[in-house]
Amino acid sequence: MAIILQLLFTGLGIGAVYALVALGFVLIYRATNVVNFAQGQFAMLGGYCMVITTVDLGLPYWLGILITLVVMAGFGAIFNLGVYYPLRHRLFLPVVISTIGASILITNLVLGLYGPEPMTLPGVIDFPGVSLGAVFLDSQYLVIIAVTLILVVLQYFFFEHTLVGKKMQAVSQDKEVASLLGINVTGMIMLTFAYSAVLGGIAGVLVAPILFVSVGLGAQIALKAFAASIIGGFGDVPGAIAGGLIIGVAETLGAFYISVPYKDAFAFILLFAFLLIRPQGIFGEKVSQKA
Amino acid sequence: MTTPESAMSRTLHARLHSGMVSAAAAVFWPGARCWRAALGHGAAALLAGALLAGPERAVAADTAPITIGMVTPLTGSAAESGRYAEWGAEMAVSEVNAAGGVMGRMLKLVIEDDQTTNPGVVSAFNRLANDPAIVAFLGSIRSTQVHAMDPDVRRVGKPVFFGGTDPNLTHAGDPWLFRCRPNDTYSAKVIAAFGVETLGLKKWALVTSTDAFGSSGARLLSAELQGLGASVVTAQGYANQTPDFTPVVLAVKGSGADVIGSYFTFEQDLAIFARQLRQLGVRSAWVGSPSITDTAALHLAGPALYGTYGVADFNADSSPEARHFADAYQKLHKIPVDQFAAWTYDAINLAALAIGNAKSTDPQGLRAAILAIRGYKGTEGVYDFDANGDGLHGYNVVQNKKGKIEFVKRVDFPAP
Repeated sequence: MAIILQLLFTGLGIGAVYALVALGFVLIYRATNVVNFAQGQFAMLGGYCMVITTVDLGLPYWLGILITLVVMAGFGAIFNLGVYYPLRHRLFLPVVISTIGASILITNLVLGLYGPEPMTLPGVIDFPGVSLGAVFLDSQYLVIIAVTLILVVLQYFFFEHTLVGKKMQAVSQDKEVASLLGINVTGMIMLTFAYSAVLGGIAGVLVAPILFVSVGLGAQIALKAFAASIIGGFGDVPGAIAGGLIIGVAETLGAFYISVPYKDAFAFILLFAFLLIRPQGIFGEKVSQKA
Repeated sequence: MTTPESAMSRTLHARLHSGMVSAAAAVFWPGARCWRAALGHGAAALLAGALLAGPERAVAADTAPITIGMVTPLTGSAAESGRYAEWGAEMAVSEVNAAGGVMGRMLKLVIEDDQTTNPGVVSAFNRLANDPAIVAFLGSIRSTQVHAMDPDVRRVGKPVFFGGTDPNLTHAGDPWLFRCRPNDTYSAKVIAAFGVETLGLKKWALVTSTDAFGSSGARLLSAELQGLGASVVTAQGYANQTPDFTPVVLAVKGSGADVIGSYFTFEQDLAIFARQLRQLGVRSAWVGSPSITDTAALHLAGPALYGTYGVADFNADSSPEARHFADAYQKLHKIPVDQFAAWTYDAINLAALAIGNAKSTDPQGLRAAILAIRGYKGTEGVYDFDANGDGLHGYNVVQNKKGKIEFVKRVDFPAP
């Protein structure tokens, strides 16, 4: 029993990171009908930003987080202006390729600026974790799960109970009608990119103390997060959360009970199974209709 | 001093130049009255140039640098170790050149990025192989990449020094591969013998990557342990770039193993495993392959690796040569040296020694000269090349004492 609980805890922790990045995928897709393949690089940038502020500059952790969030929001807006906005009237594929190109550019820029060495980032809390009987709860995984839950709740209130959130929802549902209603569609899309970059940055900050900060950090998470967003139902916010957690738990349990070397395969077996049996995902509509 | 030969050369050059100018005028100014004459001069000059090129090229070849190609990861997940490899090779080139070069010629290093991938290393090697001036190559430290390069290495037919430790690489009939690190037959022998005979531990958990390096290490270590009467209570393979090792750690913990033997390819994986191992309360002894002693692994894993043992092909305290190199490297790069830099440093020195002994850069002559090297004191140990192309036949055992790698003992086996 202790083993299952341990695996579940770790699976939920890593799944929460997938969920945060998947959320970024989903929000941008809803707002623009485009998949942003640089979402993983947002996580990587968040990690680097924290290293620069807290390790290199020696700023307090809370201030580092604050600066990282502001920087990521700004980066999201710039990303929108540079990568999405000029191609907004083009078809799906050119924009997607543009985001892939941007992801490669970001990775190589960081590599050029900061070098290939992985860097360590201290955890949010300065103790390793707590033991509940035979189950060890890693403090960083506890923080990841807690932050994800808080973000989900905050996001619900933001989208359901604030005017800006409702405007963003309106734009994601129908840009033309939203525009006719006087909503600044361009502004809302920019806000969505900024928010998605912040989400990616938070994922990076949270996972960096576990996986270290390196240029490969984003790619490590993004592929699973993308699978999570499809499993949850592409374009569906609760689905992205559920998809991330399901993948995290499935790969951890699968690795222990079936095969460690095929750990990565479980996420994609799950993805294939969903695409075959329930292509609309857990909560969403059919992928073929969306695309 | 002017010689008749050089005077003739100047005259021919002048004719070549004026002829080419005339030919160019004829091409770009069709109305020129002298176009036939110009073309005639041009043809004569080109012929003269061709006649002249032979001896000039020969003279240039005798003084031109001797070029050695190197593939190394400058990008991708192993880019950090790739940089160290580059530094090691560059230090050796500088030292050889400072001492007058080889056969009176300087050494020149040309580097291509292998991107830490198999397709990347094949592409990088082929880009280098297209340069006929390159007389020898430095390949990868990763066995899987050397396997990927192997067909092209055979096709190119020039010596390739490499650092991958899969024993099969030098036992598959490729005459052009020369290993500058001890192979895993020796690491497995030393890990098993140290764990069983010195530490007295007989219940082993094996944690290995599933690539060529890890799979080969797992197979050899299992065989050695069986031979010593020890048992493998669990064998856990993992895919590289794994973000979470909880399932592996729980399997090790549940197996009741009293010692872990490991073959990790990437330091990040090793560091994540080490941290989770300690967090989940596993206190078994641990004897690992060389990556457990890497600078990057020590930095990333920190206290999680304290007390662990490792076999290391390079250790600064294992010989005066190693100490000299370690001090020079530390002075130049401000970080401690590890095997990534040590093997490339040795490889360049071995290449220079072989070229000097062969008095030629002819591939067959070079091959014979490399295989004839005996008793060369490198930073990784004493090189005695066997017929397969393996230069080293032993390992150092080291221990991590609060983040500092300390030499325990050197174990050497006779060359087969």
